[in-house]
Amino acid sequence: MGLIEKAPAYIERLPGGGIVTTTMDWVFNQSRASSLWYMLFGLACCAIEMMATGASRYDFDRFGMIFRASPRQADLMFVAGTVTHKMARRVKLLYEQMAEPRYVIAMGGCACNGGPFYYDCYSVLKGIDQIIPVDVYIPGCPPRPESLMEGCLKLQQKIKKEKLSDWASDRKKA
Amino acid sequence: MTKEEIINRFKDKFGPDIEISEIDQPEPYLYISKQKFHEFCELAKSDPQLDFDFLFQLGGVHYPDDRFEVVLCLASHEKNHRAVVKVKLDKDNPEIETVSDVWQAANWFEREAMELFGIKFTDHPDPRPLLLYEDWDYGYPMRKGWTGPDFIPMPEK
Repeated sequence: MGLIEKAPAYIERLPGGGIVTTTMDWVFNQSRASSLWYMLFGLACCAIEMMATGASRYDFDRFGMIFRASPRQADLMFVAGTVTHKMARRVKLLYEQMAEPRYVIAMGGCACNGGPFYYDCYSVLKGIDQIIPVDVYIPGCPPRPESLMEGCLKLQQKIKKEKLSDWASDRKKA
Repeated sequence: MTKEEIINRFKDKFGPDIEISEIDQPEPYLYISKQKFHEFCELAKSDPQLDFDFLFQLGGVHYPDDRFEVVLCLASHEKNHRAVVKVKLDKDNPEIETVSDVWQAANWFEREAMELFGIKFTDHPDPRPLLLYEDWDYGYPMRKGWTGPDFIPMPEK
């Protein structure tokens, strides 16, 4: 019952159950932040670190993060690795195939701004934020699993500040 | 075969068309003239003593003094020896015969050199671009002095 005690809620206990009065914002944000299913998708050496983070030693599952092998079922995309111009359009397609609400974490120097391929390079995109919106940037080459987990916790904090009315106004604009 | 034996074997067949690099490496480094290049490769593969059955690298090179070379690294599984073969090309019209009919591995290496260096391999069976993206239209990126969209040169120290 730890979760429900933290909620901005009014709880009335009845025999055999209870009535909880709370905000829709809280319910949605809590559900979204606690089950960030990420796409099984890696581009370079950062993907190895992401796999290590997903495996049992660092254990992403305890944040409710499970990889999904389809963009349709994923909420979160780690852009893990060097994004070449040739791959960039495929990354964008995958992002567009994800259902809203969708989040992007740019993992490592390459995805943030081109990293070691910033100078004298003809083939690498200088930052994934040139083609898709990014929620959290994680520097490192590659970042340690601890950094990756901190990035995910930062994203959870960000999600918990969202309001349903923001999504509604976004939709009106689109 | 030892380094000297390989050099002598090639010299017997292509005496004046071969130039040996004086380089302190365990395998021979040699230049072959462009005219005899294809013949040379056929011999290197088919000769039972040389038996170079494995092409493990073919690449273009653009030197800072603006000349092109093609470098082939050959090896023999059976005889356990290696050789590095180079060809000097024209600066204005880098063009050479394909060796993909001799070693299948040359096919993709040549496509790569074609799109990155602009070296033309005549009679190539499949001269499509290999690595760059589909609507690439910015020239040959591995040439010295190339610039293109989104290209940031290393600042001078």
